[in-house]
Amino acid sequence: MVAEYIHPEVLVSAQWVADHSNDPNVRIVESDEDVLLYEVGHVENAIKIDWQIDLQDQLIRDYIDKEKFEKLLSDKGISNDSTVVFYGDKSNWWACYAMWVFKLFGHENCLIMNGGRQKWIEEERPLTKDVPNFPKTNYKVSGTNDAIRAFRDDVLEHISSGNPLIDVRSPKEFSGELLHMEAYPQEGALRGGHIPGADNVPWATAANEDGTFKSADELQSIYMEGKGLKEGDDIIAYCRIGERSSHTWFVLTYLLGFNDVKNYDGSWTEWGNLVKAPIEK
Amino acid sequence: MTKIEEIIEAFQEADYQETLAMLLDYSESLPQLPEKYIEQRDAGFNRVPECETPVFVWIELNDGLVHIDADVPQESPTVRGFVSLLVDSFNGVTPEEVQSAPQNLVHNLGLDQKLGTRRMFGLSAVYNRIRSSVKEANGLQ
Repeated sequence: MVAEYIHPEVLVSAQWVADHSNDPNVRIVESDEDVLLYEVGHVENAIKIDWQIDLQDQLIRDYIDKEKFEKLLSDKGISNDSTVVFYGDKSNWWACYAMWVFKLFGHENCLIMNGGRQKWIEEERPLTKDVPNFPKTNYKVSGTNDAIRAFRDDVLEHISSGNPLIDVRSPKEFSGELLHMEAYPQEGALRGGHIPGADNVPWATAANEDGTFKSADELQSIYMEGKGLKEGDDIIAYCRIGERSSHTWFVLTYLLGFNDVKNYDGSWTEWGNLVKAPIEK
Repeated sequence: MTKIEEIIEAFQEADYQETLAMLLDYSESLPQLPEKYIEQRDAGFNRVPECETPVFVWIELNDGLVHIDADVPQESPTVRGFVSLLVDSFNGVTPEEVQSAPQNLVHNLGLDQKLGTRRMFGLSAVYNRIRSSVKEANGLQ
């Protein structure tokens, strides 16, 4: 029997996005690692939201607060009932990350364009440099959704109760041989290794070459048969700064249907440096 | 004032959107890689290993003046723009002028503040690699 995604409705195709680029109930958000990519050209009517400039507050190493999030979305013309579809570079890492932050603030309707920017371009769809100017809205955050975010103390508790922890970094980062992604520059962790008890499933195992997600069958065989995750599990995913693990958070939550998945956004740059935090190599 | 000093001044006066616009202009105006290097690039030579983005750089001294050829994918416009800025600043100047440019150029341009510090490691790596290659080429003269 061919398995299906548990929540297939959160994944839309490039064609769907093309068909809805002028739909007033839909807002398209591009979120990339490269801060300039949107300016090179983007999907018609896409809005740019930058993970670092727009969503993070560097002064307190946290996400922007509720008021700033309300202002950001109001300025961009996103309302509480907008369906927001995210896409971006790098197999949608940052798109998943942006979606995760939207979910932290309780935004209801969030979708991912399967394959992201890469697939859109491979399908030879048009890009524009025109920046849309939607009417401002009065966005209100009614409550935050902390159930999808883990802090270091949650992780400590999680591992002492033996719950599954997924480290989505590369095998060499996991083993401690490397302190950062291969070919990526060092990002400030003093120790190499992983959080005790973590299982290594590099994020990219869930992605196809063209940036789309693997099929439900393949995902089940990777995470469930391969790593023993089972229905009802309480799972935490982490990477280096929380971006690659957002991709895995999306896969586990929406494609495989786990109800309790948290992203530990402090990830290795916090844990690797934390005094008294145990690690394994 | 050297060319790089002029560019630093322009970037320091620029806001976020202007910074992006300038980098995009640079990215779009990076000269095409000369035919003679294409085979080397495709074979993976002259790649800057510290940068995640595939950045390829060739450095020569012609009559004692620096000449840089470079290639960066269009889909990495920030890095491409920064490399193009370096090519524009350093082509035709003396190796000494390259050495006297600020050590922490990325910071002097204000890119770490405006674009976020987490993106700057690769840029600094490319810059250091170009400066050390110019120094090396000069030593071989």
